[in-house]
Amino acid sequence: MSEAGPLVLVVEDEPQMRRFLRASLASHGYRLLEAGGAAEALRLASAHPPDLVLLDLGLPDADGIDTTRRLREWTRVPILVISARQREDDKVMALDAGADDYLTKPFGVNELLARMRVALRHAGRALDGTAAEPVFESGELRIDLARREVTRGGAVVHLTPIEYKLLVLLAQNAGKVLTHQQILREVWGPGSTRQTHYVRVYMAELRKKVEADPARPRHIVTEQGVGYRFREG
Amino acid sequence: MTDDTTEANRGVGYLVAASAVSAVTALSWLGRPLLTLPDLAMLYLLVIILVAVRFGRGPSVVASALSIAGFDFFFVPPLFTFAVANKRHALTFAMMFGVGQLISGFTLRIKRQELSAREREARAAQLAEEARTAALRMRVEEMRSSLLSAVSHDLRTPLAAITGAATTLRDESATVPEAERRDLLAAICEEAERMERLVSNLLDMTRLESGGLRVKREWVPLEEMVGSALARLEPRLGGREVTVRLPETLPLWSVDPVLLEQVLVNLLENAVKYTPAGSPLEVRAGADEGTVFFEVSDRGPGLSEEALGRVFEKFYRGPHVGVGGVGLGLPICKGMVEAQGGAITAENRDGGGAVFRVTMPRGGDAPATGA
Repeated sequence: MSEAGPLVLVVEDEPQMRRFLRASLASHGYRLLEAGGAAEALRLASAHPPDLVLLDLGLPDADGIDTTRRLREWTRVPILVISARQREDDKVMALDAGADDYLTKPFGVNELLARMRVALRHAGRALDGTAAEPVFESGELRIDLARREVTRGGAVVHLTPIEYKLLVLLAQNAGKVLTHQQILREVWGPGSTRQTHYVRVYMAELRKKVEADPARPRHIVTEQGVGYRFREG
Repeated sequence: MTDDTTEANRGVGYLVAASAVSAVTALSWLGRPLLTLPDLAMLYLLVIILVAVRFGRGPSVVASALSIAGFDFFFVPPLFTFAVANKRHALTFAMMFGVGQLISGFTLRIKRQELSAREREARAAQLAEEARTAALRMRVEEMRSSLLSAVSHDLRTPLAAITGAATTLRDESATVPEAERRDLLAAICEEAERMERLVSNLLDMTRLESGGLRVKREWVPLEEMVGSALARLEPRLGGREVTVRLPETLPLWSVDPVLLEQVLVNLLENAVKYTPAGSPLEVRAGADEGTVFFEVSDRGPGLSEEALGRVFEKFYRGPHVGVGGVGLGLPICKGMVEAQGGAITAENRDGGGAVFRVTMPRGGDAPATGA
């Protein structure tokens, strides 16, 4: 990989938003490509393959979810979608169409950078085929994947097979959002026709075992209307 | 002024007058061994009065005339003539006519009075209706201008702070110490967040009002919604103690989790705004036969008599004038709760403070998961 920072394709029609993204991303070493609409975005993405795409779902000339799908037809580039509040359906559809994560306007630069870092890390790992670490740690929680052992503050936590699968899925995707459908597919299998409340119920059970205060979870965060995220750090 | 006695009506009246008088005459002729002259006079008077009441003056005059004629011809000697043997009977005839007309006059006047009274009543009802509509329109206008002024104030205040802070930072002619600069930047962020919350509330209220709220029900554990609501409010809880008491056996709620989380956020935010900094909050839940409920309680000043009745009204801000906010948080809760078939109440608590309680129907049993 070259010295230059990752190339980010910013698909955003609002000039003030572009100004803020340009300023903050550049100051963190990212290189930028800017597109004001979907058509321009697709053109630029194929001409100069970016390392990450920031896509505003509220573009005037096209449906952001459609654009996501079209990108996914030929690239695995991480896509972060930007949407407005109370548009949970949009976010879920974008994620199910292949987006990796989302940001809700108005958002701060810290949140943006954190999500970008996570997305790039997961993509990077997938690219160079690095195996996931054998041991995962977050706070007092420790997951030893080789020995299939979970401890919290040193004490062993007994999980059912499904709860373990769930926890491992979350940990391996730490920092990234997972939709209910994605979780259902990964843990219960692709042919699963079960409802999302399955996920909620098992998640509640898992929280009771791995969280110090299940009613105020530190590790497993609910992304209301969308899914869950394992908080890093 | 309307009158029963239209042309057609009067025509019928004459006919009826004639028939009635004839009928009475015939019947009386048949019953003449039993009836005296005064009795007959009464019978004819009765007919005259009835005709007057029903058909008005014209027919009653005809009835009077025909009655006298009948009376004279068939019953007053010499019979079957219009002559009068005893002059006294002429007085009787005159009295019959006179009394008949008097009573007709009275009854007509009563009828007219009744009619005009009914008309006045109808007019009064119409005026009352118009007054009510006008009052309602005025209230809507008041509310709209109160909304506009509240929104204007609540958006302008943070905007003023942001503009002030940003222009100060921009001002190259002054040197602002580093610590101050940091404060100003923090102020810009905080005030922007405040504006975002207000805009959110306005949008929520608009969706509720326009019926644009889509309820997507799912089976959700309450704990999850409480957790994410508290997470959203973390920065504003200011280190307060929040006790969460949820029974192990609490069943799943059949609700729209996004809406119910918003309800929790609004209730907690409300509690934070109206209670002293650092005072504890409590979230409790339970279930019984057909319902599930949760309560958000505080140890603040509680609600006044007036507030208890009005706290869920749009734009009601109670006596706390210094506190920001347009007064939409609780009405939004009410709207969101009721849109899902639930109910929300506010009461004062033993030992001080207020408690807000949301009750929802259980909606059957959640499908099994084997968890």
